[in-house]
Amino acid sequence: MAIKFEQVNYLYPSFDGSNFSALENIDLEISEKGEFITLIGETGSGKSTLVQHMNALLRPATGSVTIYGIKIQKNTNKNKKIKLNPLRQKVGLVFQFPEYQLFEETVLKDIIFGPKNFGVKEDVAIERAKEVIKLVGLTEEYLERSPFNLSGGEKKRVSIAGILAMEPDILVLDEPTSGLDPKGRDALLELFTEIHKKLDKTVIIITHDMNTVYKYATRVLVMHDSELVFDGNASELFKSENIVKWNLDLPDIIEITNQLEKKLDISFNTKPHNVDELFKLMKGVL
Amino acid sequence: MKNIIVGQYVPGKSFLYKMDPRSKILALGILMVSAFVFKDITHIIYMLFGVLLILKIGGIPIMRIARGLRPIMILLLFTFSFQVMFIKTGDVVLETVLTLTYINLGLMVLIILGWYFTRTYIKSRFLFLIFVILGILTMLSLFTPGITISSSNFVVYEDGLLGASFIMVRLIIIVTLSTILTLTTKPTDLNLGLEKILRPLNIVKINSEEIALIISIALRYIPTLLDEANKIMLAQASRGVDFSEGKIKDKVMQIISLLVPMFIISFKRSDDLANAMEARSFIPGNPRSRIHILAWENRDTIVIIFCIVVLISTIAVRVFL
Repeated sequence: MAIKFEQVNYLYPSFDGSNFSALENIDLEISEKGEFITLIGETGSGKSTLVQHMNALLRPATGSVTIYGIKIQKNTNKNKKIKLNPLRQKVGLVFQFPEYQLFEETVLKDIIFGPKNFGVKEDVAIERAKEVIKLVGLTEEYLERSPFNLSGGEKKRVSIAGILAMEPDILVLDEPTSGLDPKGRDALLELFTEIHKKLDKTVIIITHDMNTVYKYATRVLVMHDSELVFDGNASELFKSENIVKWNLDLPDIIEITNQLEKKLDISFNTKPHNVDELFKLMKGVL
Repeated sequence: MKNIIVGQYVPGKSFLYKMDPRSKILALGILMVSAFVFKDITHIIYMLFGVLLILKIGGIPIMRIARGLRPIMILLLFTFSFQVMFIKTGDVVLETVLTLTYINLGLMVLIILGWYFTRTYIKSRFLFLIFVILGILTMLSLFTPGITISSSNFVVYEDGLLGASFIMVRLIIIVTLSTILTLTTKPTDLNLGLEKILRPLNIVKINSEEIALIISIALRYIPTLLDEANKIMLAQASRGVDFSEGKIKDKVMQIISLLVPMFIISFKRSDDLANAMEARSFIPGNPRSRIHILAWENRDTIVIIFCIVVLISTIAVRVFL
């Protein structure tokens, strides 16, 4: 197990002395290889807090998170002997807003900033930067531009490239496709599936898009009111009655299938994953 | 960051909360002037007790204020030691020779090393530091075997000690008073009060409303920017920036990686804010109506009269005693 959560609670302190509980009794295991996990749930349900525990940015109030054999507890940081920094190379976390991390004069310098912090030689890092900039769908010309003169979508890609260049074992992305156009969104999601399939790495994505969940995820985690309420595969999730309670909705293709079944008074044995499958099912019935 | 207490409102119910912000600002001004009028250590200690009494009646825990004083501790310590060292009038309180020998130099180094390695385990580090410094000074004056490297006279005069305590107490009073104001007054009220009090400046073409607006926006954005700074730190930590350690060269890079996004985000925020204000038809200098109207009540008048009495009596004390 690469990451293991055991009875994790996390509290955000507020000024009047009371605490807001952001995570409650989270038990979770994430393996190093081969998972494509989507993390969903309404805003404020604790998704971002959860992923910030995955690379030891936050420490649990009670319980423990074990990342690559290093146990993180409430007072882990007090003990300087445990180096948390290497964990952040292993678990690469891309934040939701690229503005929080871009700061260098050129895109190139910004991308190699992460690898250099983890002791990668500059020329190696530059080679990596040239690779990843193409992976995220930009060209090498972008490397010489200033990160602040880019559009929102381009900034997002550069920030993702900055993490990819660190070559993490597990890639965690907080809403990577927000603010992107449909084409860019699909391209990025394809990139993540490629990383997942070709390099057999675990990818964890926070998203609000049920189509993404249904199309790509091998495993779905649902957060609701600071608790992890579902951990399983997507088909199971969308059969569940709790969808409404958790403020989620159905992917378009399932919505359409349900409507068809209702209107035509038929029922399919399986739920289709895409239009072709639906077409086949329809043919079978007609 | 939780220690930043100056400029932070904490809800409560005492009379300090019910007072009109204008009267509170005026009272603060008058009491501060009184604190500067006093010349004698005993009088200013009486005033300190008065301030503690205000805290007691106002239901503000003294510990809270004490925590707020922590950031200015260093300043207090500096003023105290400079006063003690450089005022050379009055009776001699303590005269001793500080002698540095090879043996106690070695001991001193040992003590400093001991302090350096144990300080992370001690809860009140500041007291520990003071304790260590006093300990070293005592050792230098009393324990002096071996060959002398250098020695110097260390004399403490009564006036130095009194003057130092006097200035320290005065600083504490001023900071406490202003902390009371910001603790018990919502930033919006404070701002409104300031605006009304600065109104007379309109005669000399200084727009008090604009000044008040600038202050209120600045205050409003302190927590927001702290929050942003925290997020940036997390984002950069994810890219391997270790804010807790590193060489000087790395430290510079760390700070740049924090400051540049901070600047960009603040500029973006102010731009957004300007647009949002304009979208709600804010035009600088145009008259605006208000939701909150300040109401001056009897208790405000009483407090102001009381403060004026305090001021007059301090002046009387200064002139006649």
